Amino acid sequence: MTSGQRKAHQYIWLLLAIAIPLVMIFAVKDLAVFSSKDTLESTLAGSKKASLKSFENDIVKTAVFEGYIEIILKATLKNASSVVYEMDEKGSKTRVIGQLTTAGIYEFNINNLPKGIIIYDDLKKVEITKFLF
Amino acid sequence: MGLDYKLVLWSKYKKTYDKIIAASMLLYIILFAAITLILNSETSIETIVIRAFGSLAIIMLHIILVIGPLARLNISFLPILFNRRHLGVSMFIASFIHGGFSMFQFHALGDVNPIYSIFTSNMDYGSLTNFPFQVLGFFALLILFVMASTSHDFFLGNLSAKVWKRLHMMVYGAYALIIAHVFLGAFQQETSLFTIGVLVIGFILVASLHLITAFKERKIDNAKTYKKEGWLEVCNLSEIEEDKAKIFTVNNERVAIFKYEGKLSAIHNVCKHQGGPLGEGKIIDGCITCPWHGYQYLPSNGQSPPPFEEKVATYELKLVGEIVYINPKAFEEGTEVKPCKI
Repeated sequence: MTSGQRKAHQYIWLLLAIAIPLVMIFAVKDLAVFSSKDTLESTLAGSKKASLKSFENDIVKTAVFEGYIEIILKATLKNASSVVYEMDEKGSKTRVIGQLTTAGIYEFNINNLPKGIIIYDDLKKVEITKFLF
Repeated sequence: MGLDYKLVLWSKYKKTYDKIIAASMLLYIILFAAITLILNSETSIETIVIRAFGSLAIIMLHIILVIGPLARLNISFLPILFNRRHLGVSMFIASFIHGGFSMFQFHALGDVNPIYSIFTSNMDYGSLTNFPFQVLGFFALLILFVMASTSHDFFLGNLSAKVWKRLHMMVYGAYALIIAHVFLGAFQQETSLFTIGVLVIGFILVASLHLITAFKERKIDNAKTYKKEGWLEVCNLSEIEEDKAKIFTVNNERVAIFKYEGKLSAIHNVCKHQGGPLGEGKIIDGCITCPWHGYQYLPSNGQSPPPFEEKVATYELKLVGEIVYINPKAFEEGTEVKPCKI
């Protein structure tokens, strides 16, 4: 390499040695494995709001409040599609409430208290989980 | 070293090198698919393809990036450097399969142009952790495409070594984009301490090797020189091995001083092909031979033997007792200089 190319390499790597770790740190600092906060703790924990209905299994923990539903997805699902539906008395899907992606806390607006919810993989057409309130 | 341009100047070594690359890539893909299916039998073929080729491309990029500094620090790595371009093109193919399948799986089934969809399906550009990471991968793939498509000696010869080298230094930008693509994409969706750790260690390894090499080279550039009546003192004659060279820095540029057949000659240390260090090569059949790709130059005039046309600058030497001196003023490239007799 020429002298100029050697200098360019040195400056580029000095810059990358500073910039890339910054990107890495900011990208992972809030991830569950690095965060000191329990990200799966309800945002409403300790508040005076009382849930109308609640349910918990291995996949999710959910609570219905006036006007909205809180769903805590405990771990990222392996399904590429995870759509949350309202369920009627017959156990059928009715209205789409929202979609889940990675593990975390989700809040969706609802008009009426649903009979239950179904989390459904719309691509594979399989039911991931469902529960009646 | 070839006079005309051929798609690939095959040699026994290149064939062996490429067979090893192809076999390793195939083995990795098979192992990745097998382990994924054992751990999660419901994984779709598209997902396996995307993940297997994506991770393969990252591993290959790390290997490519450490070859340069490793070869500077230890010449036993030179055989890997010899055909690094084929490794680079193979890495681009792996990246292209990853990018192509991802684009098809996530953007091609809607009613908008898939490339437009990459930029607009997630508009959260103000967020860091929800950043549209696929955009970063797209730009990285674009850089890798430019590099792979200009990697042939035809472009090297027509763009000039300087422009070609600048173009191919864009790989560092692609590397930064790929790291950000993975950290803001895959790691946000499937957090694994193992994969994060592997990539962090990979980055530390690559960055450390480049910085260690850079500082080592800077030390050589800044080495003290002793001037006597316009001539710079290089070394004692005994420090130069027969048919080999001593590399010396003159006005921030490296010069290779070769000892051969009872003579001394000095030429600019940078090969015209890909900037290889001529002073780390040997004299073979009367020609200085670049250790990287075997380009050759005559020691007395810095010219490649006819019909080749590459030429480098030459320098004047003198010997006082056992001490070798060099005139720091370089002659025009290809200028004949009478070798200094020992």
